[in-house]
Amino acid sequence: MERKIIETDILIIGGGTAGCMAAVEAKERYPQLNVTILEKAHIDRSGCLAGGMNAINAYLNKGETPESFVRYVRSDSCGLIREDLVKTMSELFEYCVKKVEKWGLPILCDDQGNYLPRGRWNIKINGESLKPILAKAARSAGAQVYNWVAVTNLLTEGDRIVGAVAFSLRNGTFYVVKAKATIIATGGAAGLYRPNNPGDASHKTWYCPYNTGAGYAMGIRAGAEMTSFEMRYVALRTKDTIAPTGTIALGVKAPQVNAKGEQFMKTRYAHLGGDGAPTPYRTYGPLMEIKEGRGPVYLDTRGLTPEQSRELKSAYLDMYPSMVLYWAANNIDPSKEPIEVQTTEPYIVGGHCQAGYWVDGDRRTTLKGLYAAGDVSGGAPYKFVSGCWAEGVIAARAAGADIASMPPVTVSDEQIAAEEDRAFKALRSQGKVRYPVLPTDMEARLQKLLEQYAGGASTYYEMNEEMLQIARQRLAKFPADFDQLVANDLHQLMKVHEIMDRVDVAQTLVEHLLHRRETRWPSYQTRIDYPERDDVNWLKFVNSRLDPKTGKIEVLTRPYEQIIPGDRYKP
Amino acid sequence: MPVWVDPEKCNGCHGASQPPCLRMCPGDLIVKDHTANKAYLKYPEDCWDCLPCVKVCPEEAIEFHLSYQFGSKGAKLIPHIHKTHDQITWELIDTQGNSETFTIRTKLMPVELDEKVEGGTQTLDFSI
Repeated sequence: MERKIIETDILIIGGGTAGCMAAVEAKERYPQLNVTILEKAHIDRSGCLAGGMNAINAYLNKGETPESFVRYVRSDSCGLIREDLVKTMSELFEYCVKKVEKWGLPILCDDQGNYLPRGRWNIKINGESLKPILAKAARSAGAQVYNWVAVTNLLTEGDRIVGAVAFSLRNGTFYVVKAKATIIATGGAAGLYRPNNPGDASHKTWYCPYNTGAGYAMGIRAGAEMTSFEMRYVALRTKDTIAPTGTIALGVKAPQVNAKGEQFMKTRYAHLGGDGAPTPYRTYGPLMEIKEGRGPVYLDTRGLTPEQSRELKSAYLDMYPSMVLYWAANNIDPSKEPIEVQTTEPYIVGGHCQAGYWVDGDRRTTLKGLYAAGDVSGGAPYKFVSGCWAEGVIAARAAGADIASMPPVTVSDEQIAAEEDRAFKALRSQGKVRYPVLPTDMEARLQKLLEQYAGGASTYYEMNEEMLQIARQRLAKFPADFDQLVANDLHQLMKVHEIMDRVDVAQTLVEHLLHRRETRWPSYQTRIDYPERDDVNWLKFVNSRLDPKTGKIEVLTRPYEQIIPGDRYKP
Repeated sequence: MPVWVDPEKCNGCHGASQPPCLRMCPGDLIVKDHTANKAYLKYPEDCWDCLPCVKVCPEEAIEFHLSYQFGSKGAKLIPHIHKTHDQITWELIDTQGNSETFTIRTKLMPVELDEKVEGGTQTLDFSI
């Protein structure tokens, strides 16, 4: 294969929400530094924001402060977060939102020019083109962008990360990018569990199906410490289309009702805040209604005025157009009938929950030279879009400062050759493996295993020690089959790497699920053998680290630190 | 099939190697048949229904369909991009033919018909 060697100062892996903002911040603050973005798709419409966004959901509206935000997020995450991280990101919401508004993002305002709130922490935007706006800013700032370049692994020299290797989806060029600092911003992981819909809608997921955990996986393989994978995200979404429900619940204040018309959150979960209960309970509540025979569950939109109904449709068109077509195709008028909701496949994501790299306040990971921002970074839930931007800013500032007087890095030829072999192995195996395994075959096996033994939707997301032990044992057999994986073209080669990455993520996930012997986040993490929350023993972070030499995952815990005083279970 | 390129309307963006629909797909699912000079969705099962391909097509040649499992065929949702790039009008037609339009503010970035790929797009010999 052709080889292309790039030497850069700051490498950003993933040109999405966090990556674009990191690139802009790096170039503005350290214009003398070279900034390179490697992007698996095309930066203009890649990742979570491809379809658009209709709100910024982490913003300090009038009267709110970083402290009030930390208190809210802490209670929403059942009393356990990295308060330092949540506080520092919230301090940059305003900085980031103002920047993107300057780049052209339409933000809805009242007559006085104040942003229109949608909820306590939300403002309304017309964000259909949010991603191209960010991409243009990154390019204009001077970042060098490589599109259709899929990163397969990090490069190491001693105990330092010194860049990454990748291949081009267009021509198979093998990229070796040597970097003084590497910011990983690849997003979280979808596709670990069986998706909600079969057949030609299997990628009709809520989380971007092209976020396949690459950033987690390459960090795990390099020995980075990871945190809180057991806090999976199980979202409450509209039935079939799996569209976000905040647009309905917050946008037009629709409460949840069961098949009997009972507003069960208000009755059964009043002590937790009713319809405003912590997010895991807003998934757990409807799930229990269905389990106990009172489903289906709906968001009650009946009685919306025609104006509200149009507003709702407009909001979805900015972010999730299929919802509107679905109503038209099924003759559903949301003002006349309630909108059915369901729960999703579990995702591993550091932006809604807190699975990801264990980082310091500057988003340095435990590996020298490697920084994490956005959904791939752990400990700081409730990031959504603006928190990912903030983390991109923080990581870029730290990376630029850390490498100020650093000489160029070196990488051994042996490592490059081994990585090239690993990157293209499945392509070269084509026609030479007697019993080939397609990436879709391994995906089906992985999804079935996690679905049945690691708390998938079919067991109401519940799990116990015995089930998880089965998942652990069977997962351990997957890597032996990696040599059987074959790819017929470069697109399929990408799918091969995506499934290998997801297997690595799944193994870490199961270790985390096994370790936390309590139920802290019902539905996200329901241990039926340890059904209660246990602050005496488990008010701490479950972390893990794979030893790259032995391949063994070591699980450890890190203490929780309360920075903002007050009742951790009150917003 | 979630999105469908109408071969009658698709002109392959003339001789473009990487037409806009192909570039804007976050899953890299759209390819161009250079012999027929048409783009098509090669991997429908991997489509996310996110619609950048539909919005960016200069010929409005890409139709958005729901998977049949979600509802009957016949309803349509068509985005029309204003020449000023600051508004998008969505035309929604239900199964009875009733239509409704929504004009929404945006900030569309103009997109070139083609884009050079670093290192080219040559076909590979996979036998090596």
